[in-house]
Amino acid sequence: MIQAALKTTLPIFFGYLPLGIAFGLLFQELGYPWYFATLMAVCIYAGAAQFMAVGLLAAGAGFVEIAIATFFLNSRHIFYGLALLDSFGRWGLRKLYLIFGLTDEVYSLMTTIEVPKHFERSTFYFWMALFSQSYWILGCTLGAWAGTHLAFNTEGMEFAATALFTVLLIEQWSKVKKPLPFVVALVACVIALVVFTEHMLILAISLSLLMMLSLRLTSQKVRDEY
Amino acid sequence: MNIEYLLMVIVIMSAATFATRLPPFLLFSGREQHPLLQFLSKYTPPMVMSILVVYMLKSVDYLSAEGLYAVIALVVTVGLHLWRRNALMSIVAGTAVFMVCIQW
Repeated sequence: MIQAALKTTLPIFFGYLPLGIAFGLLFQELGYPWYFATLMAVCIYAGAAQFMAVGLLAAGAGFVEIAIATFFLNSRHIFYGLALLDSFGRWGLRKLYLIFGLTDEVYSLMTTIEVPKHFERSTFYFWMALFSQSYWILGCTLGAWAGTHLAFNTEGMEFAATALFTVLLIEQWSKVKKPLPFVVALVACVIALVVFTEHMLILAISLSLLMMLSLRLTSQKVRDEY
Repeated sequence: MNIEYLLMVIVIMSAATFATRLPPFLLFSGREQHPLLQFLSKYTPPMVMSILVVYMLKSVDYLSAEGLYAVIALVVTVGLHLWRRNALMSIVAGTAVFMVCIQW
């Protein structure tokens, strides 16, 4: 099972390693010891928020401001749990860890792949979450500790995240096989990009959920077919 | 450099991040689910995936060489995936193409 989980999460490795290194490189310019980058990867575990933290730390931002900025930056994650409500098993440390580890990449992978039949779902997910976070911790630590001496040029490796989401989108298409959610999401993206480019993610996700709900409530056709 | 300040920031950011991932589980976990909620839970992933792809692709500058490389790498990723349906292979190949293009 551990091997299967490792193999499943390898695409995340290619995404998290270069992104983590980029964060570590940026972080060490603040002058803190390298292991605080590791600590941030262990405790916070949010890519965009950690990049934002470098700016906030440099500016000496206030605690309330930091709390609000972090919450809004990650606010799209509020909707991620909806698809996994009964997949994390019973309440306990494992479930809390699975919720803690619900990043964009992990969510995308968990909602797209089929868990091999003979494995218990929540245990398999636990290993997936643990491996994914260790890639992130490894990347952040490497970047802060040895980033400037790295012999391997990781430039362009960040494309792995785009490739991952694209592949999972194709898989979602072959799973759902109905155009409506994809069309609704694209319309929401266009609106969000016109209105609010900087924070398009949360706007596009809220909008698409709203549109989907109103379609379902108002259209008999949608109610029957979806 | 102020270690206490940094530690406080880490605590606050960890709590704020966790607070964004927890609410649906607190509200709905373990109960019988309303049909509307089931409907949403079924169709959120394809919508989120579409939005994430658009989000990743919007930051590319399509008038530069990078834009061309991104398009080529994307074609390789999608083409390979439609052909072989091997996620890891499609991702690694697409990323490798992009890296080779941009580093040369």
